Amino acid sequence: MPAALRRFAPLLWLGPAVALIGVVVLWPVVVMVQSSFQRIGGEGFVAGYDGIDNYDNLFHEPDVVSVLVRTLVWVVVVVSVTVLISLGLAQLFHQKFPGRRIARWALIIPWAASVMMSALIFKWALDPNVGVINVILHDLGILKQLGSNQADALGNPTSALAWMMAVAVFVSLPFTTYAILAGLQGIPDDVYEAASIDGATSWRGYLGVTLPLLRPAILVATLINVINVFNSFPIIWEMTGGGPGYETSTSTIYMVDLKESDVGQSASMSVINFLLVIVIVLIYLSTTRWKEQVDR
Amino acid sequence: MKKKLTSRIAGGVALASAAALALAACGSSGSGSSAAGGTTTLKLVVADYGTGPANTSSKYWATIVTAFEKAYPNVKVNVTTIAWTNFDQEVQTMIQNKQYPDITEGDYFSNYAQDGLLYPASGVLSDPGNLLPAFKTQGTYNGTQYGMPFTTSSRTLFYNKKLFAQAGIASAPQTWAEVEADAAKVTKLGDVGFGLPLGSEEAQAESLLWMLGDGGGYQTAGKYTIDSPANVSAFTFLKGLVSAGDTEPNPGTVDRTPLWEQFAQGKIGMINGSPALIPIIQSAGDLTSSDWTSVPIAGKNGPLATTLGVCDNVSAFSPNGHEAQIKEFLNFAYQDKYQLAFDREYDLLPATVTASKALSSDPVFGPFLTALPNSVQYPSDTSWATVKAKIQQTIGLAVSGSPASELTQLQQIATSSAS
Repeated sequence: MPAALRRFAPLLWLGPAVALIGVVVLWPVVVMVQSSFQRIGGEGFVAGYDGIDNYDNLFHEPDVVSVLVRTLVWVVVVVSVTVLISLGLAQLFHQKFPGRRIARWALIIPWAASVMMSALIFKWALDPNVGVINVILHDLGILKQLGSNQADALGNPTSALAWMMAVAVFVSLPFTTYAILAGLQGIPDDVYEAASIDGATSWRGYLGVTLPLLRPAILVATLINVINVFNSFPIIWEMTGGGPGYETSTSTIYMVDLKESDVGQSASMSVINFLLVIVIVLIYLSTTRWKEQVDR
Repeated sequence: MKKKLTSRIAGGVALASAAALALAACGSSGSGSSAAGGTTTLKLVVADYGTGPANTSSKYWATIVTAFEKAYPNVKVNVTTIAWTNFDQEVQTMIQNKQYPDITEGDYFSNYAQDGLLYPASGVLSDPGNLLPAFKTQGTYNGTQYGMPFTTSSRTLFYNKKLFAQAGIASAPQTWAEVEADAAKVTKLGDVGFGLPLGSEEAQAESLLWMLGDGGGYQTAGKYTIDSPANVSAFTFLKGLVSAGDTEPNPGTVDRTPLWEQFAQGKIGMINGSPALIPIIQSAGDLTSSDWTSVPIAGKNGPLATTLGVCDNVSAFSPNGHEAQIKEFLNFAYQDKYQLAFDREYDLLPATVTASKALSSDPVFGPFLTALPNSVQYPSDTSWATVKAKIQQTIGLAVSGSPASELTQLQQIATSSAS
């Protein structure tokens, strides 16, 4: 093969992957940004560019600010609770105990099950009249009357959000726990030996040895969770549909609702979502000084 | 560490690309209707009127399609059945993605006619004059009829006679004050006094029934008047009913279907319903036919003289260019025997003149049919699709928050999308 051609040989290997990323990742982003500057009605017909009108209208929607604030709360609460619980779970699953292999397999279930299915199961379990959670609470005497306001957890925006966050944590736990567990298994035993020779208690050892060495694993797990949870759709869509009104909508739900009447404005909501995720990720990366973690 | 991470990232990218490819493959499979070997395939998208697998609408349509395909071997019909709750959105998604159906049966929106996506009724039916004239305006855009009524219904107030007797109520409520008093009495028994479905499934119907009670409505002389004093008074009354605890909790989050089922189980005193509630009551088996009845809906000072008449329409989409085949199919499907079969199956009313004549002496359907011609209908302008979606999502807040300010917000949205 002539030397000149050989220089392009890597393209053969890189080309398909690059093309794929270009077509399925970058191109949609371009179209999304383009649509956000176009006037597109509910039927999907493009009626020309209209500058920043979509953004302008979007920020004049009375609900959009509360939706954005709610989205941030949703992401922060769900991700931090998930990571905290996963740290504990991973530690448990790292111990040797009989049946550990089966227990580790069982942990996959919430992850393997369709999120929509999990959301529906919780929705039915919370039914104010016949939901199993309410029936149990009623039998225990905690809930005075079935079918009452108190039993309708998904009807009240605050309790509905709390329940949906719990479901979101439930479905995020397996992945996060596995990521941290993998990190734990990568920590060599001699580090702990050295620490105990130096007189470290087990708690001190956890803070001084385990956590710092787990940072790369926690970093990756948190990042992927932030992106997932931010765009999380099925849980809220199935359990409350974002209602009453938009009082339990996050920005993703709101974007889907907007798409029914105004595709252009919905696209501008998508762009803002996209930018928000990037900003959150950048802030997170810079505060955790990820380069030092990863390059070490 | 660095090398490991990059290889992990590369693995991730490969996985993601594989997933994306799989997704892309799914996306391209939906293209459907093309003429192959002289055969045309029609894509028929219908709403599901059934209460379960036993009487799903796909069965009803399968009967027609089988007979039709025998008579017209050159045309195949693929039926897609969609639950009512998702119908508008799924059809709209097909249209936004330019994967046009040929025929839909469910909601019709004039904005599709405005965008030139529909065939006029005269092009796809041999005798459009046989469609009930009462619903012609609603399906008409710019003087041409596009929406073809396929089935109709009117609304009445259903109440549970057993619960009423237990609560010591002698007769059906005729005014809002009586509704309030009766609902309170039924609630004392530990059941739901009035079932008020203001969740997104059909909030636009429930709301209109109350607006009519004080002489209000969505429009006056073709202009939106959602925040009119009459409508505000209706929702102020409802808010009182809700905060007294005489409805199910949080009506803004409750859909029609589950509430109808609850009524059928005998746990609700009163609820507004259409004839479609009857099969649900029968299949639940908790109420005998003497345990419930239906009466004209109560208004502020007396029962409504005109009720809400709803028709579900057939729309014929033009982008696939199957006008001749659609006409063959619709002429076939609109035969009286299929109209009547539909009404028997779902307790709804026919939408053609000839089928109505055949039913006019029926003891159950007769009265509903005579009420149809002067019934109130939904707005027919091109902004209705948007306004309706917004009403469905937010009007429930008018009974938990401030009725006036919620209705004012809806009015602003309606006037800005109508302009």
